[in-house]
Amino acid sequence: MSFWFWHGLRKGIQSTRYPWAPERATGITPGRPLDTKFSSSEESSRAAANCPVGAIAADGARTVVDLRACIWCQRCRFGAPNPLQWDASYEWSGMSPARSEHPILPGAFTRSLHVIVVDAGDCGACLNEVKQLNNPLYNMHRLGIFLTATPRTADVLLVVGPVSENMRGPLVKTYEAMPEPKRVLAAGTCAITGGVFGRSFMSAGGVGSVLPVDLEIPGDPPPPLAILHALLIIAGRKDPLRHASLVSEES
Amino acid sequence: MGALTGGALLLFFVLCAVALVLSTMLRAMYAAFVIAWFGTLCSILLMLAAVARLAGGQDFHLDLWTLNGWGSLSLQVDALSAVFLFAAGLVYLSCCFFAPDYLLHYFRNRYPAGRYAVLHFALMASVALILTAGDALTFLLSWECMSILCYLLVNYEQKQQHDSVAGYIMLAMSEAGFLAVVIAFLIAGGGASGLSFVALRAASAHLSGAAVWGVFLLGFLGFGVKAGLVPVNFWLPRCYTASPPAFIPVLAGVTLNLGFYGILRLNGDLVPGQGIGPGLIALVVGSITALVGILYATTENDLKTMLAHSSIENAGIIVAGFGAFLVFRNSGNAVPAAIALTAGLYHVVNHSVYKALLYEGASHIEAATGTRDMDRLGGLIRFLPALSVVFLVGCLAISAVPPFNGFVSEWLTLQTFLRSALLPSALVKIVFALSGAILALTAALAVTCFVKTYAMSFLGIRRGSWKLNAAGLARRSRFSLTLLAVACVLLGILPTYIIPALDRAVEPLAGASATAALVQPFFTATVSNQQLPTAFLKDFHNLGAQTGAGVLPGRGLVVLLRGSEQNPVVFAMSPSYSFAALAILLLVVWLLVRALTRQRALARGGVWAGGIPRLLPEMTYTATGFSNPVRVVFQAIFRPNIVEDTRQTVAVHFRTAIRRRRDETYLVERVFLRPVGAATSSVARLLAGMHHGRLNAYVGYVVGFLIVILFLYRLT
Amino acid sequence: MMVTPSPAANPLRFDAVTLAAEIEKRFGSAVSSSEDGGAGALFIVVRSSALTSLCRFLFSEAGCSFGGLIVEERDEWNLRYVFLNPSSGWVHCVLRLPLGTRTVPSISVPVNAADWYEREAEDLFGLMFEEHPRLGDFVLHDQVWQEGITPMRKAFDARQTHFEKRPQEDWRPMLVVQDPGAFAMPVGPVYEGGIGESVHFLLETVGEDVIRAVPRLFYNYRGVEKIAEGKSVLDVLLLAERFSAKSAFAHSLAYCQAVEKAVQLEVPRRANRLRVALCELERLRHHAGVIEGICQSTALGVSEAHSAIVEEQLLRASGRFAGHRYLFGLNTPGGLRRDFDNEASRDLLRAVDDVSAQLERLEERLRYSSSFLDRLEDVGVVSNGSARHLNLLGPVGRASGLRRDLRRVCPYSGYEQYRFDVPCEEEGDGYARLRVLFSEARQSAGLIHQAMESMEPGEVGAQAGETTAGAALGWVEAPIGASGHWVRLDRGGRVERYRILSPSFRNWMGLHLAAEDFAFQDFPIILATFGLSATECDR
Repeated sequence: MSFWFWHGLRKGIQSTRYPWAPERATGITPGRPLDTKFSSSEESSRAAANCPVGAIAADGARTVVDLRACIWCQRCRFGAPNPLQWDASYEWSGMSPARSEHPILPGAFTRSLHVIVVDAGDCGACLNEVKQLNNPLYNMHRLGIFLTATPRTADVLLVVGPVSENMRGPLVKTYEAMPEPKRVLAAGTCAITGGVFGRSFMSAGGVGSVLPVDLEIPGDPPPPLAILHALLIIAGRKDPLRHASLVSEES
Repeated sequence: MGALTGGALLLFFVLCAVALVLSTMLRAMYAAFVIAWFGTLCSILLMLAAVARLAGGQDFHLDLWTLNGWGSLSLQVDALSAVFLFAAGLVYLSCCFFAPDYLLHYFRNRYPAGRYAVLHFALMASVALILTAGDALTFLLSWECMSILCYLLVNYEQKQQHDSVAGYIMLAMSEAGFLAVVIAFLIAGGGASGLSFVALRAASAHLSGAAVWGVFLLGFLGFGVKAGLVPVNFWLPRCYTASPPAFIPVLAGVTLNLGFYGILRLNGDLVPGQGIGPGLIALVVGSITALVGILYATTENDLKTMLAHSSIENAGIIVAGFGAFLVFRNSGNAVPAAIALTAGLYHVVNHSVYKALLYEGASHIEAATGTRDMDRLGGLIRFLPALSVVFLVGCLAISAVPPFNGFVSEWLTLQTFLRSALLPSALVKIVFALSGAILALTAALAVTCFVKTYAMSFLGIRRGSWKLNAAGLARRSRFSLTLLAVACVLLGILPTYIIPALDRAVEPLAGASATAALVQPFFTATVSNQQLPTAFLKDFHNLGAQTGAGVLPGRGLVVLLRGSEQNPVVFAMSPSYSFAALAILLLVVWLLVRALTRQRALARGGVWAGGIPRLLPEMTYTATGFSNPVRVVFQAIFRPNIVEDTRQTVAVHFRTAIRRRRDETYLVERVFLRPVGAATSSVARLLAGMHHGRLNAYVGYVVGFLIVILFLYRLT
Repeated sequence: MMVTPSPAANPLRFDAVTLAAEIEKRFGSAVSSSEDGGAGALFIVVRSSALTSLCRFLFSEAGCSFGGLIVEERDEWNLRYVFLNPSSGWVHCVLRLPLGTRTVPSISVPVNAADWYEREAEDLFGLMFEEHPRLGDFVLHDQVWQEGITPMRKAFDARQTHFEKRPQEDWRPMLVVQDPGAFAMPVGPVYEGGIGESVHFLLETVGEDVIRAVPRLFYNYRGVEKIAEGKSVLDVLLLAERFSAKSAFAHSLAYCQAVEKAVQLEVPRRANRLRVALCELERLRHHAGVIEGICQSTALGVSEAHSAIVEEQLLRASGRFAGHRYLFGLNTPGGLRRDFDNEASRDLLRAVDDVSAQLERLEERLRYSSSFLDRLEDVGVVSNGSARHLNLLGPVGRASGLRRDLRRVCPYSGYEQYRFDVPCEEEGDGYARLRVLFSEARQSAGLIHQAMESMEPGEVGAQAGETTAGAALGWVEAPIGASGHWVRLDRGGRVERYRILSPSFRNWMGLHLAAEDFAFQDFPIILATFGLSATECDR
């Protein structure tokens, strides 16, 4: 019989020191495209035209990226004639444009946050990134964040996916079954603007069309630390970005 | 005080007769009133007679007529009779409020309602006669009357599609049992001067061992028919299910007790015997009966059949207690014998009360919804709120949950089994240990059974398509159910007042006082009068055992058995104090919750079912599903004979219907009745060979028989 | 009652030529066949009278497995039944019907594996398949959608979002078990465990055993095939990556190979090597995730933590190597979008070696955990015959003895040059599936080494020529099983029809074989051992 207790002890503590220290390991995030200064406005227009979803806008010689529409296809990063600069950050969650104040929950939730995750047409990557938050490397339990199976005991509704029509009903029912106070988190570009699926007969084009969204996490998929950052915002331990369209500054 | 008992009893008989006559004379629609008024009076008189005897009175004895050659018919009320009279009176009191609604319904549907009233009072009178019989003749005559009246009442609703064979089976088994009982009495009266109980008791000392065994076996099995013990109880489930709703509380709460009374009277009082064999047999039979009863109850979906099996279970517990009593008494341990008999008698009273309550509740459910199938019920708590409270009390009581009455008697029964450490023989100790284990399993299964019953009938959402008959509970019926529920509570929280009352019956039979053993005099004991050891008193004073000393009557509120120096307290409990503590705690919690949540708003929403649009009834647990694990684990006992599992396929990968049907026969029928029946049939077939219709051969039989007789005459 | 003939245990073996000859002999005038010399595929045009018997012949006697049904609405209905002949390759049976046809003969009785494809076609195209046992309420849930909406037809505009939906208020599920005490336990679509894909189950039971387990899928249906129509090739590539992102690279590879075949584009050798390495990297990571799911379902916490660490390490390795943890944005028709240097390759190989060692140790420890094995052995058994009836794919099929792997039967991206085993088990229970996962992970690690170590310098992407019309099937052995992508391009180089034959779609059909007649408590474990993806099935 394998001595699992011993094997577990020998593995040691693997958890990241985030949020008390930034996580420096590589591969934890794809990073994000930054506003880049080009030498001329033709180059910036060419760079903007390269984006298949139109998330890059040319503002003179600068390009401005709308993270809420970016699908992380990396065509502006690799193999492009005018590549944009990318950083390696992961703290990029922001308030939904419909919201004007900080979507923080009252003080009792700071160290005890219960999250229910609803898959509303997700491709599987966002859900997998949320699942990674349970593994020893990220371990959200140490921060007092837990996943629940029923909305009756949930504080935060984390929605992934563009909200397919067949899931619209169950999603609304889940929201209505949650007691006050509650917050809605849209994780992933699909959940914010519909991503590549957009608005169609079968896709609502983002959670905002169905429920009142409080916090948005861009990404395709957002890395686990970005989702963790968003949950810490809700718990009041981090501050959200104020800009509605999450314009990213050149770092 | 014997006069009060006697006076109440005689008045009772007079009133019964009057009611009988009135029922025949008046028009049928007044039958309900006759039952309501006269029945109430009669029941109260019965209870009065019983309480008068138990509260310190003397035996009442009355000689009736003397029959030539047989002896005199007499009445006698001693403490044992008084206990059973009290239980009968209480159940009849609640029935008299419960039955009239049904009688009005019978009258409207053109049943002879007057006939029901006649039968009702006749049965009441014969039950009282059985319990107060002073000699074997009265006893047997009234027993036979009771059997026939029961049969007539069971088959009362002829117009409906009921199982009329059930009544016949009951009658046949009653007669068979009666036959056995008659032979037992004859054996017992073999060397006696007469057939009165006094004479039989005196003569029992001179009976040979074989005769004592004969009396025991015949009496035990004969009375066991009525009591519902394992080899002879296959009539019970069918019959209880087929009985009319007005009669069934009586059947379950009164006539079942007659079997226990018979066993106690014959085998405990009149012919006590010396050996422990009979007691062990009673113990084993009781345990097995209890287990079989609760197994079938847990897996049964029909409310009434389930309650019938539960009656069998309780009968098993009671008889197991009686068996322990016999073993302890005949091996010289009088105190444990007293405790065992107290437990048994207490359980008799408790069972009458909560079984009648549950049956009345089940009849109400059937009247309100039209179905008894637990798979189809559900959600009744919203439609029948008053009934749901009362039914809950019944379910808790029968599951032996404190502070209700079932807890006290089952706890005492199990504790007496633990006292088997006092017995010398290792084999006997093993038998006691096994019986105790079986009874513990039974108690656990009983909780499962009644959790299922209550949850599936009252909680959840409605699973069937019945419509509620908006009648609700009439005030009369509400009173009868509440009366029984209150009795459940009182019997549960005041055991130290009930035990002295039962002790009047226990002490003569067991030879020791249960009150002295169990109810310690905490109220009256002080350091100076040394009724209890000083250290002991001090310890229990710190636990609050003397609370209520000057205010409440009686010896104390703690049921406690003292032991030796090393083990001062063998067992102890106090439902009274527990109930008080529980009530205070609930009150405090309720006040706290109200204070803390005054600001909160309450939001209500639909049931959360994973996001599906609606939780449909076919998506909720059924009674079958709930009890399926029990059915699977005890498969060897149930032995489902045929399990039809047809998977109709349109194509191999697609099935349209999977049908499953389970055919089972009752264990007792399978193991006892079928072989006996088969043997009898084969013998009969053999003998039928004699009846071939040829006249010459018949003449030959006659001639042959004549020759045999002449030969025998010649020999003697 | 119709009887499905079981597929022959020892089917006749045909190569492309003899198969064509045999079909000609048997079906004569009702079919006409031709070979596509390059890819070894066989194209048969069949008349509707002979369709059922031809499919029965292919499935039962010739030992072909059923790949899927591709429905196209052009100037006539094209129903393309794709079979896979293990000795020679793909067999396409095309049925052409005039556009006004409403009924089509059903082949789901002789070929059970075609059941759900026909239901999907009925829901989305409105074609009635005669003698199909159960149509309706499949993709478009009856609770939400009214009858008669056929979104895949050309006349339906995918962009419309507001239209009449008259849901059935009194919808009731169709329950099969007729026992008075039977009930159906609903699970989902928002269900236990905290992180589950949206699937709804109705577990019909009488108490302990699950008698019938019916999954209700398509809660994640986003109409990918419909919204792809009319888009450019590169835009549909984005959809191919993102409809099931846990196998993003595999599906984008199948799509790119379809486009490359359609426009006759040659892929450079370096690109093929890298494609193989990345495909196997994804397979390794996917299997680590499924193993984690199995350990989580049996509540063996430490092993769940260890396998979760493995999956995250592979995600980080992918992120370091390719810039995206799920390998988005790498494939493009003609090769890869970017190249990788030696340092990156060495780093990847180090990570793969570390992960392989961890998985070895984990497998060893699990083998000696008897309480863990008790939950998996003889639980969720899918017999070889049942697996063959439904043509189960991937590790699930291989655990029940179906040794079929597209990398062996129809090698793509140069797989014929590599040495690897196709692990196969016989028992078909949960433990067999676990063993297959571990073995395949080992093989994948070996393949990554072989691909990286035999890397040649060169181009990684080919330039596309002028846009041409064409149609082709691209295929890949995705982590869950064999997957086919059918792409038809019009003259402007835009995608006219995009059809995805996803492996999860097939394996979900087979879940009920494993789940039925086992206890409730085993259901989550059986589900975890299948490693299914609802979103890959729903598209």
